[in-house]
Amino acid sequence: MAEKEPSNKSEYVTLVSNDGFEFVIKRSCANIAGTIERMLNPDHNFAEAVSGKCHFENINGVILEKVCEYLYYHEKNKDQKDVPDMEIPAELCLEVLMAADYLSV
Amino acid sequence: MAAMRRQAQKIRAPRRGIDQESIDFGITWKNLEVAFKEILTKNASKLSYEELYRHAYRIVLKKKGQELYIAVTTFIREWLEQNVCGKIRKLLVPSLLTTLADGPTGASVNERRTAGDRFLHGLKDAWADHQVCMAMMADVLMYLDRVYGADMRNPSVYHTCMDLFRDHVLLADSGSQESSLKSVLLILNAIVLEQIQMERSGDVINKAEIKNCINMLEALYQSGSETEDQRLYITSFEPDFLEASKMFYQHEGEQLMREGNAETYSEKVTKRIKEEQERCRSTLSESTTHKIEEVVELELIANRIRDVIEMESGVRFMIDNERLVPLGLLYDLSARVDPKKVELTKAVQKRIIDLGNEVNKAVIEASQPPPPGAPAVPNQQTAAALKWVEDILSLKDKFDAIWLESFRLDQAMQTSLTRSFADFINSSTFSRGSEYISLFIDDNMKKGIKDKTEEEVDQVLDKAITLLRYVQDKDLFELYYKKHLSKRLLMNKSISIDVEKQMISRMKIELGNNFTSKLEAMFKDIAVSKELSTGFKEYVASRGDPDLSRVDLKIDVLTSGTWPLSQDSSEEENATRPKVIYPPQVARVKQDFQNFYQTKHTGRELTWHPDKGTADLIIRFKNGQGSKSIKEVNMPTYSMIILLLFQDLPEDKSLSFADIQAMTNIPPADLKRQLQSLAVASKTRILKKVPMSREVVESDEFFFNEGFRSDYRRLKVGVIAANNRAETERERRDTEKKNDASRIHLIEAAIVRIMKQRQTLKHEQLLVETVQQLAARFKPDVPMIKSRIENLIEREYLERVEGSSPAAYKYLA
Repeated sequence: MAEKEPSNKSEYVTLVSNDGFEFVIKRSCANIAGTIERMLNPDHNFAEAVSGKCHFENINGVILEKVCEYLYYHEKNKDQKDVPDMEIPAELCLEVLMAADYLSV
Repeated sequence: MAAMRRQAQKIRAPRRGIDQESIDFGITWKNLEVAFKEILTKNASKLSYEELYRHAYRIVLKKKGQELYIAVTTFIREWLEQNVCGKIRKLLVPSLLTTLADGPTGASVNERRTAGDRFLHGLKDAWADHQVCMAMMADVLMYLDRVYGADMRNPSVYHTCMDLFRDHVLLADSGSQESSLKSVLLILNAIVLEQIQMERSGDVINKAEIKNCINMLEALYQSGSETEDQRLYITSFEPDFLEASKMFYQHEGEQLMREGNAETYSEKVTKRIKEEQERCRSTLSESTTHKIEEVVELELIANRIRDVIEMESGVRFMIDNERLVPLGLLYDLSARVDPKKVELTKAVQKRIIDLGNEVNKAVIEASQPPPPGAPAVPNQQTAAALKWVEDILSLKDKFDAIWLESFRLDQAMQTSLTRSFADFINSSTFSRGSEYISLFIDDNMKKGIKDKTEEEVDQVLDKAITLLRYVQDKDLFELYYKKHLSKRLLMNKSISIDVEKQMISRMKIELGNNFTSKLEAMFKDIAVSKELSTGFKEYVASRGDPDLSRVDLKIDVLTSGTWPLSQDSSEEENATRPKVIYPPQVARVKQDFQNFYQTKHTGRELTWHPDKGTADLIIRFKNGQGSKSIKEVNMPTYSMIILLLFQDLPEDKSLSFADIQAMTNIPPADLKRQLQSLAVASKTRILKKVPMSREVVESDEFFFNEGFRSDYRRLKVGVIAANNRAETERERRDTEKKNDASRIHLIEAAIVRIMKQRQTLKHEQLLVETVQQLAARFKPDVPMIKSRIENLIEREYLERVEGSSPAAYKYLA
């Protein structure tokens, strides 16, 4: 129980890509992605929820970085209108798209 | 180029993945299955969500969604059947089953309750676990739901698993022989009902457990379609609950009826309703509140309220004994089932009318002349009238209190109360209401309001108005009031003219200008007369007539028509009646005033009413000593005229009745009365009568009583006709006849007004409108209206419309 406490409460969570990059992002941002949210659901108490660390075996660092950028971008602009489009390099499009589907963003 | 290459690589990569994984479905599923088992045994913290999710994701990606779906449901079904059902079944101890089936047998209430509790608890736990685990699995299989579920329009994994719980746990065979307890669900219902039953009979039960199970039933659905009314709670438990409650309350209703106490009945029912509401809030579902209320209302109120109201300890008892709180409860109960509260209203109205009729009867009895031999009670009729008014007022107070306390100021209730009061006050067996009310006011104006504060006087006036409101025949009341008021004004009997005026202004507010205009005119006449009297005094003084024996004159000039005098003695009678002969001193003053009046208002004729006036005489008796021999006597004008005859008469001479009549021309009936008070009444025996008998007859002789003694210097004679008293039967019939005569005119006027406006009108409508127009003054009876219509047709105001059916009339201009 004592171990679990900090991860449940901590404001930040760590996302890890398959090539070992770690991204520490706000929990509120991470929760925008449905999959991550469920992963971290303290009620269900999966390993990720206990450790506060999410490994993604099918997303590499470049894409995960883009995903994190988007999550922050979304968090920042969620209440606004006429938001400028986020820049996504054309060569990453497909992979980001797949990641988004996987993470149900 | 670089981008292109990278893209191409990336596209290839997943394909390769799919190809690889496709071989691995069995292995992947095995992984998942192991993981699910861990979840179900609450070991999830060792599992990586990401890994499981990825497995499911891959399976779905390579279009094995359906297989996964089926595998999952099969897995869960097997799990439920093998593990959960077993646990639940263990809780179904035989004692629980038998008691449920056969009713309470061997096991004590306590045992049953604990067994039931255990079952509920176990079921709840199983359900809670299932919910949590299914939520977790659904999370893991999210991708399956999102992609496969959405494509195939399959219900989500979570919902399917919930349904599985329903089918394989709740609807599982309970192992009981009883058909009513065939499944776990039925047992659950039975246990919950039993526990509720325990609570109803006063035991404490574990509401939280029940609530949890109820929540479960609310979360599950009867069939695949998840509409509100398909929830298991509504399809399975609620009907059972309502049915059981119905039986229970039917039984309880019978039992309470047997106890036969309306008070405890209403208390108990009120408590039951509260309990049921509370139960729905704490134990069952809010959505049932309304339905169970209906059950209680139907069984305990709607079906029984009538009997309860009519119980010996019912409404009648409560009213009579001022049981306002239980009566209030009874009212609330009635209001629940019937917004009009028909039964209660009926009972209350009946009671009012009964009580009212008792009051009426008591008064009629009291006003009967006493049986011969019994001592005559003075002013018996008037006393009866006053008692009647007081009784009615106290009755009114009583019901006002009831209305305030018990009937929650219900507007409709007030209307019916008022109607009932009006009903008995105007009841056909008791026709003196108007007269009595007027007498009540009269009594207060003369005596009652003495030494009262303004507020108290206000109260009295309010009371009078309250009663007046109930009276239908306002014209009759007006007649009496005029009569009584005129006597008060002429005899100076009113304590306060201000209060009189207040009364009038109140009537004006209540009944309108029309009603009071004549009454107001009477006050005006009195004021004008005062001016006239002083004017006349000045006139005499200015003329310088040094006549010392001159009599002071205070005159009341009354407009004929506004005052009820002219009605007292009809016109013809006035004309034929011989003029009263006044003694010379008085006749001179009378002539003087007539002259004076003619100078002020030429062309007006004065008719003198000696029967209404009074006179002050100073009489010196021979036999008295000193100042005691001189008396100031106030007496009616007639008495004065009679006494003046004796002024110059020698002591030993007498006058016979016939003499006096001849010399004064006073009508015999009046004369008889005057002589009675002068010669018979012991305190004011100014004349001696021979023979000394109680009755005055034509042959009597009268002497002046020189030996008259009295302890007082001031005396008052002849109050017989002066007081306002209740009428005798004959007088009353006269009054009514007069009143009917004036009604005839009013009715005709109303008919003509209506017809003039409408030109043609059907018979029924004409009747209705006439009654409406006159309702403010009195309630005309239909035969009278009909005869007036006939009469108007004869006089060619109206004509029948030829050949119309139903009959109609046309106005002839």
